[in-house]
Amino acid sequence: MNAFWDTLKVVAQIALRNLFASRVKTFIVGGIIAFGAFIIVIGTSLLDSVDQSMSRSITGSIAGDIQVYSAESKETLDVFGGFGPGGNDIAPLADFAQVRRTLNTIANVAAVVPMGIDMATVTAGNSVDQVLSRLRESATKIQAGDKSAATVADYTSQKDHIRQIVRVLNGDFENVKKVRTDATDISEDLAFVQKANSEGFWKDFDQDPYGNLEFLENRIASLASDADMLFLRYIGTDPTEFRRTFDRMTIVEGQPIPYGKRGFLFSKYVYEEQVKLRTARTLDKVKVARDNRKEQIAKEPELQRMIKENANNGQEILLQLDGEKTELFRSKLGTYLHSQQTDVGQLLIQFLTMNDDNFDERYQFYYQQLAPSLQLYKVRVGDTLTIKAYTRSGYVQSANLHVYGVFAFKGLEKSPQAGAMNMMDLVSFRELYGYLTADREKEIRDLRAKAGAKDIARENADAQLFGSDTKNDSTATDAPTPSNTPTLAEELSQIAGSRQRSQAQDAPYDPAQLEQGVVLNAAVFLKDARQLGNTLTAIESAAARDRLPLKALSWQKAVGITGQFTVLMRAVLYTAVIIIFLVALIIINNALVMATLERVREFGTLRAIGAQRRFIWSMLVLESVVTGILFGVIGILLGTLVVSWLGHRGIPAWNDIVTFFFSGPRLYPELSSKNLGLALIIVLVVSVISSTYPAWIAMRVSPRQAMQSEE
Amino acid sequence: MAIIVSIHNATKDYRLGKVTVPALRGVSLQVNSGEFLSIAGPSGSGKTTLLNLIGCVDTPTSGSVEVAGHNTTQLGERALTRLRLYTIGFIFQSFNLVSVLDVFRNVELPLLLQRTLASSQRAARVHSLLERVGLKDYTKHRPSELSGGQRQRVAIARALVTRPQLVLADEPTANLDSVTGQNILDLMRELNHADGTTFIFSTHDARVMSYAHAIIRLADGKLSDSPVGAGATAAEVAELGHPIAGASQP
Repeated sequence: MNAFWDTLKVVAQIALRNLFASRVKTFIVGGIIAFGAFIIVIGTSLLDSVDQSMSRSITGSIAGDIQVYSAESKETLDVFGGFGPGGNDIAPLADFAQVRRTLNTIANVAAVVPMGIDMATVTAGNSVDQVLSRLRESATKIQAGDKSAATVADYTSQKDHIRQIVRVLNGDFENVKKVRTDATDISEDLAFVQKANSEGFWKDFDQDPYGNLEFLENRIASLASDADMLFLRYIGTDPTEFRRTFDRMTIVEGQPIPYGKRGFLFSKYVYEEQVKLRTARTLDKVKVARDNRKEQIAKEPELQRMIKENANNGQEILLQLDGEKTELFRSKLGTYLHSQQTDVGQLLIQFLTMNDDNFDERYQFYYQQLAPSLQLYKVRVGDTLTIKAYTRSGYVQSANLHVYGVFAFKGLEKSPQAGAMNMMDLVSFRELYGYLTADREKEIRDLRAKAGAKDIARENADAQLFGSDTKNDSTATDAPTPSNTPTLAEELSQIAGSRQRSQAQDAPYDPAQLEQGVVLNAAVFLKDARQLGNTLTAIESAAARDRLPLKALSWQKAVGITGQFTVLMRAVLYTAVIIIFLVALIIINNALVMATLERVREFGTLRAIGAQRRFIWSMLVLESVVTGILFGVIGILLGTLVVSWLGHRGIPAWNDIVTFFFSGPRLYPELSSKNLGLALIIVLVVSVISSTYPAWIAMRVSPRQAMQSEE
Repeated sequence: MAIIVSIHNATKDYRLGKVTVPALRGVSLQVNSGEFLSIAGPSGSGKTTLLNLIGCVDTPTSGSVEVAGHNTTQLGERALTRLRLYTIGFIFQSFNLVSVLDVFRNVELPLLLQRTLASSQRAARVHSLLERVGLKDYTKHRPSELSGGQRQRVAIARALVTRPQLVLADEPTANLDSVTGQNILDLMRELNHADGTTFIFSTHDARVMSYAHAIIRLADGKLSDSPVGAGATAAEVAELGHPIAGASQP
């Protein structure tokens, strides 16, 4: 046995000394190997880090480890929901309690959170409506005899504000009239605006405040079109459970939806992108471009376009100004711009027309001097939001929800996909989605009992109600398919819903309702996330056992293409590594074949004095393996150094998409022993493979080669 | 007296492209153990081919070669290698030392391949042989640091370290000047004399032949006269005017 080690020692000794003797070859081969090992360590570490941070962000923000949804769905669940309105076509799961029961039979399931994802339009407050309603309140107080200074001051200021709005509208209409040859279609509106803009109207306003308010509400408010229609994606869930299980969720403003209460939370991303004043939002974006990306307005057409558009966005500010604020803005802007201009609109245009020299200063002025007097967000925390959604049966259903706050998912703040998701309680979600809640069902039962209504499907309504044969009726062929057709009960529920909604918004619901009833999907958290694959199978078999049409998706698949990103990147990396090493194989192989041919006499001699072929073979392979280990370790060490340095310093994300993949502004890659081991194994395999052919050649050298004389 | 090499009507053909070149055309001879034998002949006469057959690095196309009682035509590659390792020592014209190993390691190499001796036994044997070839102070030297004569001494030590029955030397002095060459031959003869190891060396140099007890002459792949026995060659050696080596002959 000792002799074996001694032989190995001599083989190693010959191998090592040969490596040293042919330094150039060794360094070429070793350099390639070191480079390859370096790339593997860096690449896999980066990918793993991206994978881990993305997985933490995505599982901890919305997906959980596993998503379950109905197997009867026409499409695959995508919680980030593609790009079409309404997201993808997911069939409802009728009873969440049953889903939870089934899932809880699986040992590895730690938590189940009910969910539903949908989309709706929201009318974000019309400032005219808001001012008018405040004015009406003040007027009512005064009529009721409240003549206090504060009330009168409010009343006067609110009237001034309306006058300001009307002035802005009047200006707009005059402009439209100037550019259009035929203005007959706006002549009626123009007449209303002119009337509201006249001195006489306001002089006599107090004579008939209610009549005049009605005129303003009906004829003028609708013309001030600053009310934006927002398309909002939202997730309906158990807000308390969601906050408990999804650790990435943070409330950045306001408070969470209280337990058992209906309510709405804006996503920070949506809140900034869609709800914030456009002027402010544009200024923010230009600032980011200038500060972070070092772009210049003078050089970037996109920034120029934004600045130019922003000058026209000034109107949204004008509409917010009452008399007092108009005066304030006039004096502030006038002083700032050294302008004699008295029209605030013109001053705003002048102010908002910015360039690289004055941008930073004006940005500061906007936020420090102007913004405090403005309502920066069209919907504020504490406001009530009217959400209108199309139910499954095609009816518009609406709900007024209290906005409790604004939230964000840590690490995904800048992600348009994750950031598009707002939140509401599951009970309101079900109403908007068009399914009966227990309360509503009871109300309808009562209504039906009172009215003695029968359950009649719509397509049979004619026949059942009037007894006529509708088979030949043309309407019958146009009748929708039964599954899409609401029953009368459903329609009743919608009527009941709309009647109920004024008092529903703040009314608490029985938290048990969260458990019972419809959900579209549910997030499942696991005790051991490494067992994800097994748990997926376990869920599907448990569902089959309980006759529940349940489909389970890993979080990677549940977030659509986003989750596949690292898989794709890994494929790219491995392809690159394979190509590098294929090239390395060829180069190393060539170098070794050359070296072998130079050493024919040595091998011949060794063979002649009694070395077996396998001795020669193992000697050459060992040479290669030693080179591989030596330089592989050097490459791995270099890679480790670079990764540690990056892990310490962090890699800054250079744009929003990268921010999403990094799940934050910086990626701090971590080393894993798995990657180091992988690099070493690949290096070893490449070394052995690349030396196999040269070793074979060497092994075949005849001992006769030693005998041949040099002459 | 034991016969260490016995060749019967051996032929060897080499293929050169499509042409078959006969290198040996039927050679028969026997070599007694303990001989100091020279194979002589001009270039291309078949010296190296004959030496290859005796050294078990090649097998005859026809006829038979028996070395230390083994018929080489019946042995496979691995067995031939073992036969070389345990029975035969090689000395090459251009020394063929492993350039990356020092003198000690070069000499030790065959023992390491044998894997039979412990490290201390190996060291003892290597040191005693190096002493005998006059290189005991050069154990740590690399071949490139030695003169041609010194290198060939290392090669001789390497050939003898396994205590082979037979040492083959292919033109061992061809790359050495005449004085060094004589020293090497003196050393070989001394070792032959002391240990009774059989030496067979090829040469085309008449002065080298003069050291031999017996000479086998080859021409065109055939023996040019009956070689066996000292008597047959004594006349030739006498012709050359050199004293016959003082080795005892059967």
